[in-house]
Amino acid sequence: MASYSAPLRDMRFVYHELFDSSDISALPGFEEATPDLIDAVLEEAAKVCENELFPINRSGDEEGCRYHQGGEVTTPSGFRECYRAYAEAGWIGLSSDPQYGGQGLPAAISTLLEEMVCSSNIAFGTYVGLSRGAYRAIAAFGNDTLKTRYLPKLTSGEWSGTMCLTEPQCGTDLGLLRTRAEPNADGSYRVTGNKIFISAGEHDLTENIIHLVLARLPDAPAGVRGISLFLVPKFLPNPDGDPGERNGVLCTALENKMGIKASATCAMSFDQATGWLIGSAHKGMQAMFVMMNDARLGVGVQGLGLSESAYQAAVEYARERLQGRSVTGTKHPDKPADPILVHPDIRRTLLTMRALTEGNRAMATWIARHLDLRERAEDETTRASANDFVQLMTPIAKAFFTDYGFDITNMGLQVYGGHGYIRENGVEQYVRDSRIAQIYEGANGVQALDLVGRKVPAHTGRYLRQFFHPVQSWIESHAFTPALQPFVMPLAKAFGRLQLATGHIAQVGLKNPNEAAAASSEYLRLFGLVALGYLWARMVEVALTHENGADQGFYDAKVATARHYMERILPQTGSLFAAIMAGASTMMDFPDEAF
Amino acid sequence: MTDIRKVGVIGAGVMGAGIAAHMANAGLPVVLLDVVPDGANARNVLSDTAVARLLKTNPAPLMHKRNARRIVTGNIEDDLNQLGECDWIIEAIIENLDAKRDLYARIETERKTDSIVSSNTSTIPLEKLTEDLPERFCKDFAITHFFNPPRYMRLLEIVAGPQTRPDVLQSLHSFADQTLGKSVVTCKDTPGFIANRIGILWMESAVRFAFEDGLTVEEADAVIGRPMGIPKTGVFGLMDLVGIDLQPHVAASMLATLPEKDLYRDLHQPSTFINQMIETGFTGRKGKGGFYRLNTESGKRVKESIDLETGEYHPSTPSQLESVAAGRQGLRALVNHPDKGGRYAWRVLSHTLSYAASLVPEIADTIQDVDEAMRAGYAWKWGPFELLDQLGPAWFSNRLQQEGMPVPKLVTAVGEGNFYRNQDSTLESFGHSGRYNTISRAEGVLLLSDIKREGDRIAGNSAASAWDLGDQVLCLEFHTKMNSLDAEVFKVIGEVITLIPAKGFQALVIYNEGNNFSVGVNLGQALFAANLAGWSEIGKSVKQGQDIYQALKYAPFPVVGAPSGMALGGGCEVLLHCDAIQAHAETYLGLVEVGVGLVPAWGGCKEMLLRWMNNPKHPQGPMAAVGKVFEAIGMANVSRSAEEARDLLFLRPTDNISMNRDRLLADAKAMARRLAVDYSPPTPPEIRLPGPSGRAAMTMAVRDLCKAGKATSHDQVVTSQLAYVLSGGEADPTVPVNEADVLRLERNAIMALLKTPGTLARMEHMLESGKPLRN
Repeated sequence: MASYSAPLRDMRFVYHELFDSSDISALPGFEEATPDLIDAVLEEAAKVCENELFPINRSGDEEGCRYHQGGEVTTPSGFRECYRAYAEAGWIGLSSDPQYGGQGLPAAISTLLEEMVCSSNIAFGTYVGLSRGAYRAIAAFGNDTLKTRYLPKLTSGEWSGTMCLTEPQCGTDLGLLRTRAEPNADGSYRVTGNKIFISAGEHDLTENIIHLVLARLPDAPAGVRGISLFLVPKFLPNPDGDPGERNGVLCTALENKMGIKASATCAMSFDQATGWLIGSAHKGMQAMFVMMNDARLGVGVQGLGLSESAYQAAVEYARERLQGRSVTGTKHPDKPADPILVHPDIRRTLLTMRALTEGNRAMATWIARHLDLRERAEDETTRASANDFVQLMTPIAKAFFTDYGFDITNMGLQVYGGHGYIRENGVEQYVRDSRIAQIYEGANGVQALDLVGRKVPAHTGRYLRQFFHPVQSWIESHAFTPALQPFVMPLAKAFGRLQLATGHIAQVGLKNPNEAAAASSEYLRLFGLVALGYLWARMVEVALTHENGADQGFYDAKVATARHYMERILPQTGSLFAAIMAGASTMMDFPDEAF
Repeated sequence: MTDIRKVGVIGAGVMGAGIAAHMANAGLPVVLLDVVPDGANARNVLSDTAVARLLKTNPAPLMHKRNARRIVTGNIEDDLNQLGECDWIIEAIIENLDAKRDLYARIETERKTDSIVSSNTSTIPLEKLTEDLPERFCKDFAITHFFNPPRYMRLLEIVAGPQTRPDVLQSLHSFADQTLGKSVVTCKDTPGFIANRIGILWMESAVRFAFEDGLTVEEADAVIGRPMGIPKTGVFGLMDLVGIDLQPHVAASMLATLPEKDLYRDLHQPSTFINQMIETGFTGRKGKGGFYRLNTESGKRVKESIDLETGEYHPSTPSQLESVAAGRQGLRALVNHPDKGGRYAWRVLSHTLSYAASLVPEIADTIQDVDEAMRAGYAWKWGPFELLDQLGPAWFSNRLQQEGMPVPKLVTAVGEGNFYRNQDSTLESFGHSGRYNTISRAEGVLLLSDIKREGDRIAGNSAASAWDLGDQVLCLEFHTKMNSLDAEVFKVIGEVITLIPAKGFQALVIYNEGNNFSVGVNLGQALFAANLAGWSEIGKSVKQGQDIYQALKYAPFPVVGAPSGMALGGGCEVLLHCDAIQAHAETYLGLVEVGVGLVPAWGGCKEMLLRWMNNPKHPQGPMAAVGKVFEAIGMANVSRSAEEARDLLFLRPTDNISMNRDRLLADAKAMARRLAVDYSPPTPPEIRLPGPSGRAAMTMAVRDLCKAGKATSHDQVVTSQLAYVLSGGEADPTVPVNEADVLRLERNAIMALLKTPGTLARMEHMLESGKPLRN
């Protein structure tokens, strides 16, 4: 049976030591986010996740959500109680504006909380995650009436949110959207249409559900330029703000899914449902992209969270499971067999899981810090640069974390052998639960296209500067530090490949977009690996300053994990580079009919 | 033949003054006369103010301010006798038949034998102008119709009368071609001659159909502009430019003179909308606004467009028409597109092109005269018959028939063929006789486009090519977008340098027929590489450029640069390394790198230092030259003509200027052949630079400018790097340095600047807005 213990030591390392947390505390509004407070918050969060969320993870998977006649949906046992406790403790509004009842803590902290939630119970995480997305869209684009009416309730968790994009004929291509909205005399709208795959579309956790719905106005131009965003509550609020009349929105079915079974994935029907426009008419995609971009980092963190759980479970099992003897002779003569941890391939697997998971945690925090800088930095240049960085890194984080989320949970299952395939051991759930993250919020192939098609060429490569310049100058200034040689050299090599590949894709992509698209997935992976290489090299730099100090074991393990990353994982950049440079011809010259 | 050495212009309005200015540009003394206004004390007030205005007008009618001194002002009361010395007398007074005829009578008594008289009329037939005038006058008279502004519009339409001496025509033709640089088209004595006859119908149809088809002005101009190869002002922007109030006069004059069954008569409708605009003073750029206006009420400059239904202004929004995007695939894709832009394009083109095709031979002997008139007079990229070839004459004819429109005889006659064809590498055009005729070029006209059609490429890739010009002269042509320079271009230059001696060539001409010789380095590539922190790659390409330009300079054969249009940054630097320059008169040279936060680093700093140091007219000593170069590069000075480029030493006294664009290549080739006789490459110079003390003077000057608010903080960063290069770094003024030392300083400076956010922001801003960022 798998267990979970929040990686607080590593989180503190990333938050305070790898990056300088004082620059985040120095931002206006974060004066109270002192190191002591941050550590206390993380410890409390760990308790909730370990003691409340994790225990109902497997039972929730077994039981799933239930659909009832009349469109009601109930969540698995324990979810309601757990949700109430979680909301009352203020976790939902951890980084929300104090004006609406939030705690006003940095996004860098709430990202760490999200990781813990996803590690312990990802299905539970979907409910609170969607509320955060709705909060952000209303906060960014809603008018004051909508903000004062809805944001406090979404912050307290009394109400929850959804994102209603997908329709049966319209997935990635939102231009095909059909749901329509007609204006009422009082400035509201009547929304009519069918939506599918709506996470948290209906459930019993909150007294009201706030749907953010994409729809077309009567005079809307065709395609994505004619989409507007509407707020459609399940219950129309009374003048006193409490839920009143039932609105014309109904859950018509629940999907039966591969994973995240405790998350209610609903088919929703809107029938003349009353709603209000968020932002400007026909500019719904713009608002949607704000939600999506933030949500994409959140989905990436789902992959990260499950990677951590899988790693912990695999390590625990590898220590306990006695099978065979070490190939170099018995290591534990007192036992009937050696623990499988002695075997090189098991160790390779575990270190690979660990190096990627810790690296991804560092990257998630790196990006989340820039969310705070973008929001609150006092000078405009810093805010603009932070936005460039977030724009660039978001598709990478989403696809890289979730592709590895699936790979790592699968590696964890492999360590368990046949027992991993048995449900009650819990690790097969991680594999199933992680799979969706590669698909939703923009499939990973779409993330790769976003990277090569939008983010790389934007403003003639300006977004790239926020990554390439710091990495280049770090390499230059550490190239001659002897202790860092084993780390700087492989990084410099991989970074050179990334530079060449980027230049190449930009050039060939200009002439033939198929070339850039054909290279996009490998390029995104290459980018992610180099980013982790940089973060690992910097983590080593920090760890080496702690020689013979407290916590020696932790820092030694950092350096050792970094070596594994540099020597066993980062070299994959060579094969990715070769594949990228090979061009699109293998796939584009192949006749359609021969497939 | 009349040898034209002095010119008289009567009428000091916009056209008369502009013509006088261009005569002065061509180096001729000019007499400019106008009437004496009633009660005026200063009797030359009209011509004097005209000359003063010439010096202030933008774009400048004069290629150099000092050319104004060639214009002698006067009035027709006191100074008519001055016309006695003029070989060519041009009348450019108001379009009033009696006034013109009165004037001719007075001119006739003053002018010398064999002098030529011409009118710049655009509306009055020659027949009327010369009716009952003495034979001597009629023999020496023609219409010479210049286009506004005369310096910049290449077209000159010439109309001869039945009595005009062939000599007169020949003199005007060769003078206008060679000395004025005009593209001369011989016209018949028909209303509007060629360009305006077609142009006026085109404008009429483009405006009328925009109203009828419900297009916005932005949409109409987007359809009319780039897809049809017409300047991006389109039709409404053009109306604003020339003055909306001109339209009723133009229409009246055309209606008064056009044949009875002319398409224009069917098409023309007085527009109450436009009349109201004129009545209320919305006459275009010169009035309160036009179809567009710049609204500065909010303190910002907001471009606004008029709503063709309501007459209200609103902020301009770019056209979203899919047909315009489809038009990138070709003209037929545009007119076949089902949206309103596609339908509109077809309506405008079907009328305009049919009209043009129906007018040969009525208004012109050949189709190429019609095409040339529209290209040179209206700045169309393609003439009507070239546009017809793009659509396919047979396809065009079919569609006209389907829609019940008459098919012009010439279109029927050409059948399945095209109006132009390439027969055995010779260009031929379809004649109204029903046969194809070879298109021949005048003597002294050499076009690379002809060479390319006939010859094989000697070397090249997608960025540049080398062509055999004959007589052992090779031509290097850039053909990237805007002729920007990159590694691919350098690859070809490298090849050319080895190929010339290897294949028995003796000289190189660097030339192309793009709108601009070269806008310099491919800025997008450079910025992208800088954003990627690709420092070693960038360093290599800077060094590669320096090496290749040095190799050109010291090659064992002469190199002649032959620019036209803009030659900026790296495009200017390549010219600075040539042995000689044969420049088109309209060449705009400049080292403008500071505008994008950089310094010239392909040897531009080095070459400019050498030019100023070797300039005998300037004080000796290292600092004087350094100061001049610092100013020219630091202010990003761009010459507004080839003549001005001499002042900046971009051109040396030994360099030449060609007035006619079409003669540039032949002139450059001739120069290259002259230089190839006993050619020996230059000797590497020694350079004395002032070092740190000289640098201090320059940086202090910039600091003062900064304090005075005339320079920005990043200007200071950029110019301090420039000062470092030009002063020779840590050089000792008593110890000479060599070219390689200065080149190394250039490299260091540009690499340092590329790492500053200020420079990267400037580069990005230039790429995205086309304007420099003042940060």
